[in-house]
Amino acid sequence: MTFSGGTEGTAVAVTPAAFAAVARDGNRSIVVESLTRRFGELLAVDAIDLEVPSGEIFGFLGPNGAGKTTLVKMLTTILAPTSGRATVAGYDVTTESEKVRAVAGVALQEIGLDALMTARELLVLQARLFGIEAREAARVAERLLRTVDLADVDPRKRTGRYSGGMRRRLDLALALVHTPRVLFLDEPTTGLDPASRAAIWDEVRRLNRDDGVTVFLTTQYLEEADRLADRVAIIDRGRIVAWGTPAELKRTIGDEAVSLTFADAEQAASADEALRPLTGQRQRSGRELVLYFDSAAMVVPDVVRRLDEAGLRPQDLSLKQPTLDDVFLRATGGRLVGGEDIGSDAPEQAS
Amino acid sequence: MKDFLLTIRRSLRITLRQPAAVIPSVAISVFFLFVYNAGLSGVSNLPGFHGSYLGFILPVAIVSGAVGGAGLAGQALIRDIESGYFVKLLLTPARRLAIIWGPMIAGAVVLVFQVVLIVLLAWALGLTSATGVAGILIVVVLAFLWGMAFAGYAAFMALRTKSAAAAEAATFAFFPLIFLSTTFVPKDYITSGWLKVAATVNPTTYVFDAMRSLLIDGWQARPLLLGFAVTLAFATLTGGLALWQARKATQLNE
Repeated sequence: MTFSGGTEGTAVAVTPAAFAAVARDGNRSIVVESLTRRFGELLAVDAIDLEVPSGEIFGFLGPNGAGKTTLVKMLTTILAPTSGRATVAGYDVTTESEKVRAVAGVALQEIGLDALMTARELLVLQARLFGIEAREAARVAERLLRTVDLADVDPRKRTGRYSGGMRRRLDLALALVHTPRVLFLDEPTTGLDPASRAAIWDEVRRLNRDDGVTVFLTTQYLEEADRLADRVAIIDRGRIVAWGTPAELKRTIGDEAVSLTFADAEQAASADEALRPLTGQRQRSGRELVLYFDSAAMVVPDVVRRLDEAGLRPQDLSLKQPTLDDVFLRATGGRLVGGEDIGSDAPEQAS
Repeated sequence: MKDFLLTIRRSLRITLRQPAAVIPSVAISVFFLFVYNAGLSGVSNLPGFHGSYLGFILPVAIVSGAVGGAGLAGQALIRDIESGYFVKLLLTPARRLAIIWGPMIAGAVVLVFQVVLIVLLAWALGLTSATGVAGILIVVVLAFLWGMAFAGYAAFMALRTKSAAAAEAATFAFFPLIFLSTTFVPKDYITSGWLKVAATVNPTTYVFDAMRSLLIDGWQARPLLLGFAVTLAFATLTGGLALWQARKATQLNE
């Protein structure tokens, strides 16, 4: 089986005129064509093509160092592309950067707060710099403080004395002062406790549903992409390796999976060989072997019998639903989470 | 214009919240004024020296305070870069120039207050001005411009190095600027050939000359014009460099 990426929205304009036409089409909030960024020898973002329809929550999933932040920085005009083009809300990120900034809300991975200022001061200043007049800016600040649940904090408290979760929520509020049409969130919940994470998710959903904000979200958490995003692109080493709705992506590798863990990688390899006749869709990573089936429960006896014949005893056997991590493994040959096996013991791609 | 007012006001507010950052540069000014005036005022009795030594040394106190105070602008930018707040400002449609020059202008405003303080102190010590209050005001304007010029340099170094320690080290340019000049005695009294050359090349000399002419000699066109020309040229150069570095920094960095 060969992996196929997205099943829709893959049509990307080729000529400049066609690109311009696509970019100005109000139905697409973000259009990226062949966008590339080099840092010396390192190709951080490698000719990425991408379209995000208006009103969508788009999840950009990938491990650390995959190029997620570099892409976000280019789309939000604070990093110049090496080559390629991109538009946000129809404005070119290079030639119309000021217009892009006016319509885009951005919360980067690194929180940017002045420790000597209070939440209200930061919100009001941010709103004023977005051209909102003083009285309205004060109203916006109060509203956003309520939105991110910081209204009850001592108004004189400077942000230097805020907790990590509070700082993250305030940072998100700062991205919203001008009611952006497109919201960029770069790993918005990394390092947050589950309660704060859930609060951010709720707020992102609400913004998308009630205010029609298009959301471009990067994450290294499968669950986040799975639960929040309408569509997901998986990025690895600067390239998009898979693209589609979470359900579509998971369907490409089978409906159910049998996961086996062995004592060592050698046994896993033997098992991989022994179980080859059962299914073409297998993935091996270190001591772990995953087999994908349309209906896994039916084949478990077969799996056990063949392992027994081969003299192999798994330490663990479990049935599971394929996750985006399985999609990631299939597309890149490495695990997204708990990736201690990535690299040295590259899995054999079943085909 | 509104962007400038917003960023200047914010920087001033931040400065007021960390008074400890301002105190050293005020202390340096006061030190110069007291110690050198007390220790060197005999120089004014030498043949060929006219006017009071207080009027001669006051510009040194003002300019050294200006340099120290202007370093604040660099430190303010470093603070913003290190906290990530600088990027937050860059993500607004506010004018880039306002984002860079806001802290610089705020630093120069703080400096004006410092200068007024120093002048009042000198006045209490018996300072007289040959050009009266108007001359003193021009001294303050010159100090403001010189502060801007040095703030531009500090901001440039801050944006270039992005490290507080490196930017701090860069303010050591303070020493050659202040001391390789007609710091303690008029140029005619400098016997060392290389120091005379250094003093002629050093832009600070022309700021000293302009201020001293106002305090000691009265209204004279030549030192004033030279002083303003050199200061404006220096400020334009460093301000431009800071802006160029800011543009570069925002494009190249991860």
